[in-house]
This record gives sequence, structure tokens and C-alpha cells, in this order.
Amino acid sequence: MDKFSVTIMPENLTVYVPQGTNLINAAKTAGIDIESPCGCRGTCGKCQVKIINLGGVDCPDSDYVLACQTRVEKDMVIEAPQFSRLTKHKVLLSSEEKESLLEHGYFKDVEVNPLCKKIYAELDKPDLTDSMSDLDRVRMHLMKNCGIEDVKISISALRKLSNVVREGDFNITLTIVTIKDSAEIINIEAGKPDSPSLGLAVDIGTTTVVVNLIDTENGKIIDSAGTYNKQSAYGSDVISRIVYCDENDNGLELLQKAVIETINELIDTVLKKNKINKSDIPVMVCAGNTVMSHMFLNMPPTFIRLEPYVPGASKYPVVSSKDLGININPDAKVITLPSVASYVGGDITSGVLSTLMSKSELLTLFIDVGTNGELVLGNSDWMVSCSCSAGPAFEGSGITCGMRAMDGAIDWIEIDKESMEVKVRAIGNKKPLGICGSGLIYSLSEMLDSGIIDRAGNILENGSSIRVRMGNEGKEFVLVFAKDSGSGRDVVVTEGDIKNLIRAKGAIFAGIRTMLQQVELDVDAIDRVYIAGGFGNYINITDAVNIGLFPDLPADKYAYIGNSSVHGAMLVLLCQEALYEIEDISDRITYIELSIGNKFMDEFISALFIPHTNLNLFQRCGV
Amino acid sequence: MPVQTIKERNAGKVGVVTIGATQEQGGTRTSVVKIGGESSLPFLHFEGEMPNKPVIAMEVVDRVPEEWNDEVKNAFTGVLDNPVAWAKKCVEGCGADLIFLRLQSADPELGNKSPEDCVKTVKDVLAAVGVPLAVVGCGVDEVDNKIIPAVAEACAGENLLLGFASQENYNTIVAACMVHKHNLIAQTPLDINICKQLNILITEMGLTADKIVLDTNIGGLGYGIEYAYSILERGRLGTLQGDRMLAMPTLGTVGFEAWKAKEANVSIEEFPGWGEQKERGILWEAMTATALLQSGLDLLVMRHPEAVKLVQKNIADLMEPSSV
Ligand code: FES
Repeated sequence: MDKFSVTIMPENLTVYVPQGTNLINAAKTAGIDIESPCGCRGTCGKCQVKIINLGGVDCPDSDYVLACQTRVEKDMVIEAPQFSRLTKHKVLLSSEEKESLLEHGYFKDVEVNPLCKKIYAELDKPDLTDSMSDLDRVRMHLMKNCGIEDVKISISALRKLSNVVREGDFNITLTIVTIKDSAEIINIEAGKPDSPSLGLAVDIGTTTVVVNLIDTENGKIIDSAGTYNKQSAYGSDVISRIVYCDENDNGLELLQKAVIETINELIDTVLKKNKINKSDIPVMVCAGNTVMSHMFLNMPPTFIRLEPYVPGASKYPVVSSKDLGININPDAKVITLPSVASYVGGDITSGVLSTLMSKSELLTLFIDVGTNGELVLGNSDWMVSCSCSAGPAFEGSGITCGMRAMDGAIDWIEIDKESMEVKVRAIGNKKPLGICGSGLIYSLSEMLDSGIIDRAGNILENGSSIRVRMGNEGKEFVLVFAKDSGSGRDVVVTEGDIKNLIRAKGAIFAGIRTMLQQVELDVDAIDRVYIAGGFGNYINITDAVNIGLFPDLPADKYAYIGNSSVHGAMLVLLCQEALYEIEDISDRITYIELSIGNKFMDEFISALFIPHTNLNLFQRCGV
Repeated sequence: MPVQTIKERNAGKVGVVTIGATQEQGGTRTSVVKIGGESSLPFLHFEGEMPNKPVIAMEVVDRVPEEWNDEVKNAFTGVLDNPVAWAKKCVEGCGADLIFLRLQSADPELGNKSPEDCVKTVKDVLAAVGVPLAVVGCGVDEVDNKIIPAVAEACAGENLLLGFASQENYNTIVAACMVHKHNLIAQTPLDINICKQLNILITEMGLTADKIVLDTNIGGLGYGIEYAYSILERGRLGTLQGDRMLAMPTLGTVGFEAWKAKEANVSIEEFPGWGEQKERGILWEAMTATALLQSGLDLLVMRHPEAVKLVQKNIADLMEPSSV
């Protein structure tokens, strides 16, 4: 097959790719990631690039083309503008804390008891009167000195046992992983330990993946790294990825490979940076939604999206890293945290574990403000959950000028009610390129307050004149004019965007109301609200209440908890009993199927209004 | 054993809307119509008040409605091409409480009449009959946004009932009603939440609740009437529990929906099992009306004189104070 060169400007990077490759993949080969939230279906319009030279001919005033739909048939030079690129994700990178997890409330009444430990052992040397095998010698030592009975050993550790033992003159360090009372030696080193005992906690998000490296002795996060889930190339949401699996012969294989690659890259980065050997990582705990967990373990996700929405499993076996292709110690144990149902997964049980809500008498509402919009309500007596499919609007997807929370994304706006002057702030103090979730919430709230839209989200003609106009997709409001934007294009919010956003916030609020109705409680019965999800940190509570995304409760009942999914995974790493506990949580949470009956639909329609059809529900915010 | 009558204590009641204005009130009507005011479920006189009886508005169209069933057209032979005479016949011959005038010929595809012509039709009908008028457009938003404000302006003082305001298109007509002091029909697609949302949007523009009549969109007998029934019922229950954004009187286009049904139209030759078409059609309309009266409809928009007669009798019976 012929190969052609593709040069990407402004970096001036040239790669050679086979004929017919699409430009997204060509750019990827050059290490440049182009946005492709629709999974290269040509529907989202976010992957725009300019062709500036085709087969040696300059195309000076070319228009933007969709990179995913454009195939390489000749040598070409393209320009990939900032707004089409994936750059650093603010939400992802700034929500990590570095202090010891041992301070976490979880360890108030639970002993720290990590899944993996390093044990230094000075073994008795063998002689003709004591010819016990090397392994039996180790086992005997562990039994006598550490109270560990019945320890198993991985084959790779066993293979090097005899040599390592002698290398250290019978002083060795054992790395032992204990999962549900069953201990196994994963690694052996000669002499004293030269690195702490380590473990990885991984959050496999639909959009982003985060890996944390933990010192399991002192509970410190040594380092963390995050990036986009490479599965995004096959669709931005779980449903389109399942469809991809169903419609392509090797779909599942590709998706599994993509997520494993993502994780391996992150592990690599972290290990290199901290000069740690692969073989030194004996355990990894992963939390992800049910679809992510299925794909991670190479289980077909097909039936998750088909009525009656049954997952293959909600509890998953412990597997060896070599079976999944994870680049750590080949015999390392990989734990996938248990789910509740098809659309409430291990990321949520993990979150619940980390909030301690399952141990508290206080009635807690847990909200994951993401595409799936998982909600959990309950306390130590009972818990219910649902998934209200808010859609990716808060992540900027499906919004004309929407983008993720990265450099150039508007995350705050203010509209002067008299002059209709608009003030915006973009992340990284850059010129605005688009608008991210928190910016969208501000826009809605500000546009309502200044009379640009009505409560149903219609843009009114009597709003500000120069900023309100007819666009290609109906009426729109201009936040930033082209001359002030970073993309050379107007940044607008269209009526369609507003309706999209209202649907997203309506779904979340309707989910909350439906759960409350199931247990016959009032909003006021809620003692506290935890907002999870990286994006949560950037939501202004007042504005979120103002538009009816969150219930109208006193602000001090709200708390941001960041990425509670990875947090829970870390707690499991640090505490063997937590694994029993999280399984118990997954058993105890009752899943509410929102598509049954008309409760949710009714609540949903009444929430398609700003803030709500029943204005009495929002009296505190002064409607 | 003494039996105690169980009476519900209701916190709220339906607001009263007055349609039409007499000379003293600045209009030219010989009578006005008041609807609403109930403080109980429909016709439960022992439990609350029902100060105003449900009323019937008869439908008049400003073009010959070819598509209507012959049986209905026969009842108006000779006046179908003349909205003025047609309206007169409804009032004098059938005792209609109101005239419900549809300005269909403003539709670009049905005559494309100008706002001035529309105004003239309304004025002529006003001059011919003394009952209050409801006036609605042709259903094309851009056109209605021109003709209804023109009618509102030209008929200021008559306190008309104007329609339709919908969630997608309500600004212009609400403004016209506010400026020229008319009542408004707020129309929503069989959904109590959207109904409430539209009321909030309208009242937030400044039109008061006592100027709004709700058209929650009914379905005819056999074609979704149960949805209409339960929505009207929910609306009334909400009202009685104090929800002010649902506490407006209601309107239903009974004739329009009932005569859409196949059962109202096909002949006995085609469906021998269904009986005579004439009687069947009339009952189809009357049944739709009577069922919805039980769920709280205040203003029935009807077509066939015979059906009107049956429903008038039914209303009169129901308004008798019950024996309990
Ligand atoms: S349009 Fe190209 S990735 Fe969506």
C-alpha cells in the first residue's frame, strides 16, 4: 500500500501514513491528539482542521474540514487549530491532594491493613540436618514470625526464589499481597527492601483515566497521572462504545486494547518519573463504571444497553496483570471494584466507600455530575441509587461552542443587567476558545437573570440587541465576538445549547426527586450533599441551584469530594477489609430503574424549566 | 347507624375568568360569561362551591369548512359561507353561550386573508350577536402573530378570549392581551408540567391569572380521552390543594376532536355493526363532552346543535344541588 506524508502545522511535524488513513489517526501518529467526541462519525464537528497544501499545491483560502472524514490520498500539509486539540485537562489535574490518606476518616475506626506488604526476612540457613526446601523455609518463617499461614507464591517469584535467597545470603524481602485472607508472594528481592511497598489505584473514567501510585505503608500518594481514555476514539459515551463493540468484529478487542494502552502509558510515566521497577508493583485496584469494567476485563458489554439492561457480572474476579496486558509485575493482582447494576458501577461503590455514607446516620445524597449522572441516596440503614443519563453536555459535548475544562475554556461569566455587557474568564488566562461545563451553568443563570432567556430557555427578542441574533441553528447569544476570541470565531450559546443544558440539569434533578419519592422523603430530609466527579469542583453551588441543577438546600450542606472513585480505590489498597465492605455496599444499594413507570418522566418534564416548574422548591434561592 | 358524609377540605379554588364586556364595562356585549370559581371536584355541590356552570362555545369558521362531516354541515345549511349568519344561528337557534371563531382563512394555504379582513370578520360577528367571543388564529405562528394583535387592538374593550399561546410562541399574543385587556387561551400538549410552565411564563410577563384559560389539549372519545381526563383531574386536584399556577378555568375543543374520529364519520353501510352514523356522530361528540365535564372542563367548544342540546341538558342536571 502507498504511503503519503502528512505535515501538521504549526509544529511542522511530518509523518508517513498509509493511503486512506484519516487525519485524526495521522495526527495521532505524530503525537497530536485531535478531539473526536463523536467517535469519528462526522457528527460532532469538533475535529476541524485546515488543509493548506494538497499534493504539492497550496490551498490558501481553504475552509475547515472534518479530520475524521478526510482521508489521506496525497501528500498533504494541514493546520490543526487550537480549538480542535485536546490539551491539558484542568479538571483532571488539579483535584488531587497529596497528604496521607491515613488521615482519611475511614481509618478512624478501621486499622490500616494494606493489600500488599513488604516483609524483610532473615531465614535460617540450611545445612545437612535442615534440608527444608527454600519455599518451605520461607513459609515456615512467615508462619513463625508473622503469623501468616498458608502463603501461596506466584510462579515468577518461585522461579527466582533459590537464586535470590542465596544472593542475599538468606536475607530477603518478600512482597506479599493478601486478598480476602489469601496471601500470595508476588515478588522477592535479595536483602533489605530498597523501595517502599507500592500499589496502584486507577479510576477508569469514560472520558479520563487517572492512575495514582501509593506508598501503602504510609498511605501517601507518591505521584499521579491522568489522561484521556483512548476509547474516546470509538465514541464519547458508553452507549456508542457498546455499539462499536457490537458492530465491529474486533470491536471489543480494540476497546480493551485502547483502555489498557491508556493505563499502561500512565503507569509508565509515573514509574519512570519515580524510578520504580515494573516488578515492584504487586497490586492494582481499578474503579470504573460497569461498561468500563466489562471492557477492561474483555467481557462483552452488549446486553448492558438492551432491555432489561443486564450486565455480565457485577462482581469481578481478581486477575493477574499478565492476563490483561498491564505492564507491572506479571503476577500482580488486579482488582476490579464491584458494580451495582448496568449503569451504577464500581466508580460509584468506590465513591460511596470513600464518603463513609454507608456508615453514617446522616442522610446523604451523592451526585456524580457526569455523563451518566449517577446518584446515591441513603445512610447506614439503606441506600438507593439510579443513573439519570444527564448526557455529556456538562463536559461540553453536544454544545455548539462547548469544550472540556482546558486552556481557553470559559469557566465563568457575568452579564451586566443594564448594559448587557458580558465579562468572561477563560482557563489559563487565555483568549476564549469555547465554553466548559461550569461556564455553561454560569451562562444559563446569568442569561436568565438579565432577561435574555425565559424560564423555558427561549431566547427573547427583547434581550440585548447586538448580542442576540439568528444563527444557523436558530437564535443565539454571543458571549465573545470573534475579534476577542482565541479561535477567530464568535463564541455563542444557541437556543439549542440551552435546551440541551436544561435537559441535562433536568435529568439530574428529576433523578434526585424520583429517588426521594421512592423512599417518601422530602428534599429537606437530606443532611448533606456530596458532589463527586472532577468537574464538581468547578461548579458554583449558588448558580447550580439557581438553574435548578441541585436542590435548594443551605450551601453548608454541600461538599465537593473530587474524584471519589480513585479515592475509594486507594482506601481498598490500604485496607484488606475494605474489599469486603465495598462488596457489601454493592449488595446493599438498591438500584432504581428510571425507565419503569412514569414517575421519572413526569419529574423530568417538570424540571425542564429554570429552575423548576414548581417554583416553591426553590424558594431559598429567591425565585 | 348514622353515616357521616366525608367532605374534603380544600385549600384552593379555581379562579374566575370573565369573558365579554357589556356597555357599562366598555364593550358592546349584551351578556358576559363567567367561568371557574369551583372549590370542589366537579359537581360535588355538598363539598364546595360551583358558582358558575360550565358553558358551551360553538365553533364558527371564517371559510366553508369543506372537510367537516356532512351531518354537521347539514345542520348549518345556508350559513356555512357566512360567519355572521352562522354565529347568529348558533346563538339564536342553539343557545350557545359564546361563539368560538376560527380565523382559518388567514392561513396562506386557505385564503391568505389580511389582518384587516380578519378584523372585519370579527367586528361583523360582534355586531351580529350579543354573546362574548373567543377568537383564535389559523395555527400558523407567524400569521397568527399578526392577525391576533390586530383583532386585539380593533376590539379593545370587548374583553375577548384570544388564542392560542403556546410554549414556543406566547410573547406576542400575551402582550396583545395585556395592552388591549383581553383574556388568553394557554395551550399545552397534554402535559400538566408544561401547562404549569406556560402559566408561569405568561404571568411573569405581567398578564394576571384571572385572564388565562387553559387548553390542556384533549383527546376525543376512543382516541386518548383518558389522558385528557386524568390531566384535567390532576389540574383540579392541584388547584384544590393550593397550586396557584394550575388554578385557571379550562377549555376543551370537544367538537374538533370528536369529529376527527373515524367512528363519528363512517356510514352504517361500511360498518353495519356501528349503527346509524348521524346518531353515532352526535353521541361521539356529546360523550366526549360529558366525560370531560366529569373531570372539570369549564368551557366546551362544540359543533353539532344536537350534541350541544344533549350536553346543555346534562349540565343543567348536574348543576342541580345534589341530595347529599
Ligand atoms: S466530526 Fe470528526 S470526530 Fe466528530
